[in-house]
Amino acid sequence: MKSFNIGLDHETLVCARCGYCQAVCPVYKTLGWESTGPRGRIAIARQAAQGAPLSIDHEHRVYQCTLCGHCRAVCPTHIDTCDLWLDLRGYLADHGSIARWQLRRIRDNLIAHHNITGDVPENRLLWQQNLETGIPGLNLQAHAQVVYFVGCVAGLYPQTQGIPQALSQILAKAQIDFTTLGSAEECCGFPLLGMGLEDAAADLARRNVARAKESDASVLVAACPSCYHTWRDVYPRLLGAPIGLQVKHTSEFLVDLLTEHQLSPQPFKARVTYHDPCDLGRNSGVYDPPRQVLKAIPGLELVEMVDHRENALCCGGGGNVEVIDPDLVAAIARRRLAQASETGANFLVTPCPQCKRTLANAARTERARLQVLDLNEFACRAL
Amino acid sequence: MSQVATLRFPELADALGERYTESIFERAFYRRDLAAVPSLLETLLARTLPHAVACARNADDVTTVVRYASAHHLPITPRAAATTVYWNSVPTRGGLVVDLNQLRGLVSINEERLTATVQSATRWGELEATLNRRGYATLSYPSSAPSATIGGWVSMEGFGIGSLKYGRLAQQLKRLEVVLPNGEISHATPESNPPLSWFVQAEGTLGIITQVELAIRPKPNVVSNHLLAFSDLTALQRAMLALATSTPTAYNIHFSDVAHLRLLRQAGFPSATEKPLLAITFDGSAQQVAAGAQTLKNVVASCDGEILNDSLAGLEWVDRFASLRLKRAGPTLLGAEAWLPLSKLADYITDLARLADAQRVPIATYGTVVTPTTATVLSVFLSDETRTINYILDLSLTKKIYDVAFRYGGRPYGIGFWNAPYLHRTCTPQELMERFARKRQLDPLNIMNPDKVYKTAFLLSPMFFNLGMDALSWLRRAWSTSR
Repeated sequence: MKSFNIGLDHETLVCARCGYCQAVCPVYKTLGWESTGPRGRIAIARQAAQGAPLSIDHEHRVYQCTLCGHCRAVCPTHIDTCDLWLDLRGYLADHGSIARWQLRRIRDNLIAHHNITGDVPENRLLWQQNLETGIPGLNLQAHAQVVYFVGCVAGLYPQTQGIPQALSQILAKAQIDFTTLGSAEECCGFPLLGMGLEDAAADLARRNVARAKESDASVLVAACPSCYHTWRDVYPRLLGAPIGLQVKHTSEFLVDLLTEHQLSPQPFKARVTYHDPCDLGRNSGVYDPPRQVLKAIPGLELVEMVDHRENALCCGGGGNVEVIDPDLVAAIARRRLAQASETGANFLVTPCPQCKRTLANAARTERARLQVLDLNEFACRAL
Repeated sequence: MSQVATLRFPELADALGERYTESIFERAFYRRDLAAVPSLLETLLARTLPHAVACARNADDVTTVVRYASAHHLPITPRAAATTVYWNSVPTRGGLVVDLNQLRGLVSINEERLTATVQSATRWGELEATLNRRGYATLSYPSSAPSATIGGWVSMEGFGIGSLKYGRLAQQLKRLEVVLPNGEISHATPESNPPLSWFVQAEGTLGIITQVELAIRPKPNVVSNHLLAFSDLTALQRAMLALATSTPTAYNIHFSDVAHLRLLRQAGFPSATEKPLLAITFDGSAQQVAAGAQTLKNVVASCDGEILNDSLAGLEWVDRFASLRLKRAGPTLLGAEAWLPLSKLADYITDLARLADAQRVPIATYGTVVTPTTATVLSVFLSDETRTINYILDLSLTKKIYDVAFRYGGRPYGIGFWNAPYLHRTCTPQELMERFARKRQLDPLNIMNPDKVYKTAFLLSPMFFNLGMDALSWLRRAWSTSR
């Protein structure tokens, strides 16, 4: 579908106020006030476009958006709402009004430490300590065919460090000549983009691209859909030129390995449901590769949730919402988890570290009878 | 969100907790529907800012609000998706807004009676998808199905996609749960007192609908879409009249005039042809659909039409909910929706073309055949709400379009606040007396959605309205001619 964003002033007038977006918005469905949906946010954007002052209440609503892109998918006037929300956040940033201290802390961490948690760079290597076998050339090898971009969530949160462990084992098993950027890796910049801070994100992009190119790799693989989307779709725009690397999500890369028989899946009897991450599905158009990986595993039964692919519900984990309103994220995740539980699956698999975190947290609080795993973790058991 | 320091209605706040707000920040979002109304007019005619908003989760919440409003003589405005342009769900005297959007979801399906019971703010698109998964389908739905709610469409006239085959929504309704203006919950059926029919098309002025039981059907096995182009409007009208009365009955017939196709192109969505178009959908068994396609071929041959390729027809069906994409050519879209005899469609559009020439603005017309003899017709033109004076002059054109519709036996489709000046031209005195009597009986305090449907605001009384709008359209014409 064509989509447009000719600036706040124009698009907020084009909005028909039809409410198609409200019907699918995960935040609106959870909170219910008119101000919490995309139609409300457009009204806020209209005020911004007209130069009217925005209060902290307005700002809070602007940031209570997971950037899931569902509103863009259903907009009959074809407004690129995701772009518009980022423009609106950019407007807030330009006017010096990132009022939430939590957001300011993330911003400061990213600018000072180049990651979202404020960890020292060496902590990006912590996930490697539990690997049972050594994997050669894991850290910033001088020459490699593939660079694996780990990302902040998978690299720095203990809950998701199984993802790089699993993927590096899979790559080693397939005898892929790969490396990571090690402690020199910096955040992809996605959280800064989500705050409307494009210039700061471009600084990270420049350094990441330069380091990735030092390895002479031709392919960059990302397991995080937000990193993938940022590298593939945003970096060329931020840097004003192609980045000179083929960017693949791990699901796409695994399909390549399976097709070329570099991996041989073993039977794994399980009933699995699959969650489409917004940044991989709606925002990047990748729906089939993760499913192909799962379907390649003998004995696995893949059952779809009621809402899947383009219509998939958001898990709540995007758009920096977790930083300012964790209760909202938890409520959105519970809604998605309920759909997963309805399928009767034993495993909820998703190819995204952040989706895994939010859905696993929901599964724990709801005592759901299914295990939440990242695609790489799941595949590692069968490949 | 920030709550006001001193609450105006503390008892309601206690009863509803987080589902109630008097915050100015939140209330300000409830002042609009689809219509862009200049603040000058808004301030002059109504108090659109509610005093408080309650987000109801169930009929009990609605009852709580209504009883409180009744005891304190407060106006109540029921609101769900707010997808009309008539201010049906916009407050005109402040008061309380009851936001019904949390009343969502299918309650049950009765497979023997072939009915579904749903919460009233369930979206039509959502209900259709849920029913489809279980092997059923709705009989008809509005062209704004992705956002329009079940209760909202019951409250309006209820003609749309599928009405040609299955009749208006009112004929499909079995039971309504309604919170009456005194706070009682009524389970209205065709036989009850008050009967179900009173709440249909009442636009939320007699009570708040919280649950609906309506007829459903087995999901059709086959859906077949066809797109026909005609040399002129007369041929299109002949084909439409023939198809509307042929057997098997088409599920849907939609038409577009050439001005509509040009406007779509201007908005960035070019059509394959710029001839008047008919989009026809048959559904049912393979046999029924094949018979429909044969009928269609015969009609095309006798009306000098041509059948366009299937993929275009499929796209037209997919885009049946996307009529508002015209706004991309806008920024503002103004117009009038009318109920019109099919036999007068060509004359109506031809007459509109004369109006468009005189006023120097293209007027595009499209619509849906909803009975064998009638269509709901939308005639729209571009405007710009940011240029206030020009925009107010443009608003006068909507009356001119309705005048043309009246000339050919048509009338406005939907009343609300803005079309109330036409009441005496659309209803017989007897119908009006019956409406007033119902309102007096069920809502003697006039708290339920006041200023809608029954009478106009003083400044919109027919005499002022007609004089004012005619003067403005004369000015507009003079202004556009002089440029």
